[in-house]
Amino acid sequence: MRETRLWFLSLTCTSLIIVLLGLHFAIMHYAPVFTGQTIEEARSFQVMLERGRDVAQFVVYILFLAAALYHGLYSLRGIIIELPVARGRARLVGRGLLLIGLVFFAYGTYVTWWTFATK
Amino acid sequence: MTSSSTRTITFRIQRYDPDKDTAPHWDTRQLAVSEGMTVLEALHELKHEQDPTLAWRSSCRMGICGSCGMFINDKPQLACQTQVLHLGTEVVSVAPLPNYPNVKDLVPDLEPLFHKHAAVKPQLIPAGNLADEVPTGEFLQSPEQREEFGQFSICIKCGLCMSACPTLATDLDFLGPQPLAQAYRYTADSRDAGLHERLEHIDALHGPFQCHLAGACTDACPKGVDPAMGIQLLKRTLTLDALGLRRARPAPQIVPLPTEFKPSEKIPQPPPRTAK
Repeated sequence: MRETRLWFLSLTCTSLIIVLLGLHFAIMHYAPVFTGQTIEEARSFQVMLERGRDVAQFVVYILFLAAALYHGLYSLRGIIIELPVARGRARLVGRGLLLIGLVFFAYGTYVTWWTFATK
Repeated sequence: MTSSSTRTITFRIQRYDPDKDTAPHWDTRQLAVSEGMTVLEALHELKHEQDPTLAWRSSCRMGICGSCGMFINDKPQLACQTQVLHLGTEVVSVAPLPNYPNVKDLVPDLEPLFHKHAAVKPQLIPAGNLADEVPTGEFLQSPEQREEFGQFSICIKCGLCMSACPTLATDLDFLGPQPLAQAYRYTADSRDAGLHERLEHIDALHGPFQCHLAGACTDACPKGVDPAMGIQLLKRTLTLDALGLRRARPAPQIVPLPTEFKPSEKIPQPPPRTAK
């Protein structure tokens, strides 16, 4: 894939992270303003479980996971390939980080599903 | 002893002779420097009076050829454009440009710069066969179109920006500010249609997206080019193109040469040819 598209995707993930973080702040830390709940209610385990069982909330979690993973690992790739030790190994670095990203995404998705579907 | 118009300045010059030295070392010399004397003139004086083995590269003496780039007081500068007394230090250090291999003394090996510059195809690549169909025709370009890339066309390829770039200091494969700014110069030219021919190198891993906008290249440029901005504009061009949003550019108009030409009678005829 063209490097431009990879970079643009990273910028898109940045915007997505900002939006999703904003949503997180609204629901969790500014609950009295946006949802009418108290902070204690918003952060209670039971309310968190009920919220997570909502499909929309689940999608938000997965999107956040994907965006944060892509943004973080793409940036890490940028750092690593500039180091002298990585010279001539850029493809290896890229594929290694892609694998790590896919593993963490799979694990994170599984944990999210397990938390809300089985509790 | 110095007169009131001269000062004695100590020059710390990095020396390296590949035939004799295993590593670079510093040589210290003193010179009486007068107002207006440039570092290049001081080097000439030192070579003439004290050490004829001192090596460096220079040519025009007037800031247009870009040959005399050196690391003067830890900053990449043209030696011919740097006045010694304006540096404001009693000790002036002169070293070869960093981020390049060293050939000898103050002579850098600029091959990495030339190689990377050539890789971005720094020439006009017109669409189709325009240039072949009308080889003697002129491509019309408005002043506004010229303004799009004009600043980047005054690059003298001195390589100071490449020396200043912190990314190049660790990532030798990074294309660097000069080639990337020149890639933008040609891509932005209304007479050019060669963006896709340049993609192999400029839309690649060590291309413009490894630029972190330090801006040291722009600081170092002796001609007022802003390579950092050129790189960001190149990123924009590439992004619009990758998303299919880049506006199609009309082919430049060609003005064929006039076929009937009558010189003014007021212009005198040339003298007869003397060479046979």
